[in-house]
Amino acid sequence: MKNFQLSAVRTTGTAPPPTHSTPDSPRADGIRLAHVARRFGSGDAELTALRDIELEVRAGEFLAILGPSGCGKSTLLQIVAGLLAPSAGEVLFRGRPVTEPPEGMVYLFQQYTKSLLPWRSVAGNVALAFEADRRLTRQQVHARASEYLGLVGLAGFEKHYPWQLSGGMQQRVAIARALAAEPRVLLLDEPFSAVDALTRVELQALVLELRRQRGLTVVLVTHDVDEAVFLADRIAILSKRPTVVEEIVETRIPHPRDAIETRELPRFLELRHTLMERLLGREPRP
Amino acid sequence: MTASHISSSLRVLPRLARAASGIALVIALLALWEASARLGWVDSLNWPPFTAVLAALRDGLWSGELPALLGNTLGYMLVGYAAGSAAGIALGLLLGLSPLLMRIVSPLVETLRPIPISAIVPPLILFLGVGDALKIFIVAFSSFFPVLINTVAGVRDGSPVLRQTARTLRLSRAATLRKLVLPGALPAIFAGLRTSLGIALVVAIIAEMVAGASGIGYFIVQAQYAMQPAPMYAAVLCLSLAGYALNRAILRFEKTALPWHGRA
Amino acid sequence: MSRARLVERWLPGTLAVAGVLAAWELLGRGGTLNPALLPAPSVVLATLVDVVRDDALAPPIARTLALMATGYLIACACGIALGVAMGRSEAVHALMEPLVELVRPIPKPALIPPLFLFLGIGLQTMLFIVVLAAFFPVLINTVQGVRGVDPVLLDTARTLRLSRRATVLRVVLPAALPMVATGMRVSLGLALTLVVVAEMLAGENGVGFLILDMQRAFQIQKMYAWLVVLALLGLLLNGAFEWAERRALPWRAHLS
Repeated sequence: MKNFQLSAVRTTGTAPPPTHSTPDSPRADGIRLAHVARRFGSGDAELTALRDIELEVRAGEFLAILGPSGCGKSTLLQIVAGLLAPSAGEVLFRGRPVTEPPEGMVYLFQQYTKSLLPWRSVAGNVALAFEADRRLTRQQVHARASEYLGLVGLAGFEKHYPWQLSGGMQQRVAIARALAAEPRVLLLDEPFSAVDALTRVELQALVLELRRQRGLTVVLVTHDVDEAVFLADRIAILSKRPTVVEEIVETRIPHPRDAIETRELPRFLELRHTLMERLLGREPRP
Repeated sequence: MTASHISSSLRVLPRLARAASGIALVIALLALWEASARLGWVDSLNWPPFTAVLAALRDGLWSGELPALLGNTLGYMLVGYAAGSAAGIALGLLLGLSPLLMRIVSPLVETLRPIPISAIVPPLILFLGVGDALKIFIVAFSSFFPVLINTVAGVRDGSPVLRQTARTLRLSRAATLRKLVLPGALPAIFAGLRTSLGIALVVAIIAEMVAGASGIGYFIVQAQYAMQPAPMYAAVLCLSLAGYALNRAILRFEKTALPWHGRA
Repeated sequence: MSRARLVERWLPGTLAVAGVLAAWELLGRGGTLNPALLPAPSVVLATLVDVVRDDALAPPIARTLALMATGYLIACACGIALGVAMGRSEAVHALMEPLVELVRPIPKPALIPPLFLFLGIGLQTMLFIVVLAAFFPVLINTVQGVRGVDPVLLDTARTLRLSRRATVLRVVLPAALPMVATGMRVSLGLALTLVVVAEMLAGENGVGFLILDMQRAFQIQKMYAWLVVLALLGLLLNGAFEWAERRALPWRAHLS
């Protein structure tokens, strides 16, 4: 199976990233959505958010799910995450249907501030992901939390509390915590919509780098065309409600991606233009 | 009937069963009470069967005795409650709007607040004697504090964004007060009023029991001395119904006064 | 906070309290106040000193506090346990709710005479009354707190695949703690009030009993002395609770 990362990886010469478990074969980490539907309410007030979603997430790829507001993108991602049950259809991960949050997958919330435990320090929040492991001593727990905080550039902030950090830093803590659960798949629900533009650029670079280091599969939900084109290998475009997958586009933009230069590539601009036209409902230019 | 109709009715069944389980528990306990009294499981003269209590309740209501007692208690309670709440709102608004006044008055309030109500009854007996004046005063005193504190909080915790909005729209001070601060403080004020109402009933009963000469609390104590359990339990039941009705009344009032405020 | 700001914050209020006390003293000395009704603060203080000298201060306080503390702790333990169960499980909540809503509106002091009649006048009955009264605010607030835990926090626990036990202990309880603390604070005041009422109605010793007893015996100065003791007790308990609350929930101030 072609693996995008191998095509343009820049060797950085740093030590390999920490992993505390042996990863499964990447082939096994694909996700398959088969005829997924989701309805809310009942009787006359029934609302069909997702009508019939057919989608495949390839192992190791970065897939963006792009769509207008209210099309049920977050609902879809939560179904994939096992946090919500579909009204029909199923999601298959590692050969089994997803009925509750499966091992190997972690979901990151749009409201990251609310997902951090305010009564725990930053390190304490990260430790939540793995402290249940009885084999670890307290020092080991603390050391591992520090490690993951270092990965997201928050070394030294272990003892801080979430309220003392900016939005971007809080999101980094959430990312560190998600990584500490050692998933193979990361599900990001509009993770950068609530941070300022510059922080967004930094966090996007962080996510790309982490994914490269650890060979993760990432599914990102966003309404931002720019972000989707910049980050993803493939983009799934959703229709308005009742939602189906309208089209899947391959970005065919090489890695590594640079915040400034990639955004000036002809391919980037062309794709961005087409997708914006799509979402805004304009006639495509000849 | 469509498939979704059938499935949604089936989903309702466990919910109905659950709601019924709670009521079933209450009925079971009442049955246990009745059985234990009739069958003599409990060795006491003061354990009448539930049906006897119900009979006493019916008699008390029909003869007008219980309604009269309840009316007495509730009447004086409401007078005290109104007085204490009004004072609490008035002072609360003042303190909420003036940080200096707040700083002056706050320690005084904080010193008086933790004193158990029951403790100030004996000194009040000296001043007001045993009876209704004491009841009114002590209910007013205890209603005052929760309303005061909630009003202050309601005025001060008004969203700064709303305040800035008023400033950028150049609203006058009076207009800001009327259109923004007061309505914004109403939910908190109502929370205080609700708390105070619950306290008011309890305090009225305490006053009647310790230093009263009328009302349902006094009646209950007298029934204890006279060793008449059935009328006493009936009075307690009556009181509990009254408390429930009061709570519903104020919730209903709040809903009509503040339709825009979502219940947390 | 700087020294100057601390003074600025507390000076007006302290002056106000001192002013009231001074005015009271002056009125008492000047003969405006009837000493049989309201003696001057200095007289009350002197009486209190006498009580202390007679070694009569500690036993009633100990009695009252012991009764209150025991009842309060039992009530909190039961209230929190049932509150978590009801908050987490719809089935438990539906089962217990009618019973709770039936007993809750009963003014607890009204239950004192029936309980005295049925269980007899004694320490156990008084303990039972305190537990019954203090139980409900803790229960109600715990249920609200548990149910009000942010769904994002609960979903975080789910996506990190925390066990049910870990979810309750590490996420639900800490998140619900502010509301539980509020319930515990209300219950504290309620427990003290009810101990005093119970003592007044049928006690033999304890601070509440003494206050009423002194009034009936027309020992007015002693009555006020014990009233001051009780007021200080209430203040201390409240202050201690708020101090503990601030230490246990330092992050509460920063919640939006």
